[in-house]
Amino acid sequence: MTKHEFEVAMTCEGCSGAVTRVLNKLGDVKFEIDLPKKLVWIESDREVDVLMETLKKCGKEVKYNGTK
Amino acid sequence: MTQTVSLGSVSLKVEGMTCGSCVQSIEQRIGSQPGVIHLKVSLEERSATVIFDLSQQSPESLSGAIEDMGFESSVPNGSTAT
Repeated sequence: MTKHEFEVAMTCEGCSGAVTRVLNKLGDVKFEIDLPKKLVWIESDREVDVLMETLKKCGKEVKYNGTK
Repeated sequence: MTQTVSLGSVSLKVEGMTCGSCVQSIEQRIGSQPGVIHLKVSLEERSATVIFDLSQQSPESLSGAIEDMGFESSVPNGSTAT
């Protein structure tokens, strides 16, 4: 499994909650969210683009920081 | 030539919004869906009132679009009006 770091413009628990729910819907991923740092770490074998599109569904700005 | 469009309006329940930025992202994303004419999201009432083109959207499709964003949304019974 590869661990990817994304920066998502989350501002509150509602935002991180939304991120959690869309990632859960995607399934087959492990993830951690650091709200104060606005970072999301995702462990998955899926393509970065797929993860990116999923995160973008929340309507937030998403930046890919590379693998960790 | 005139084009007639049937409009509908619905108040959807939205759970999971906690701040203004959640409201904003819903307004932006749902507001840009095809067939959505007007959209008002209320944080206090946990609702989204949408005026939409009936040929392009339905209360269920709008609710689905909100759920897709990671919020919980439901269509209240019998609220569909034309």
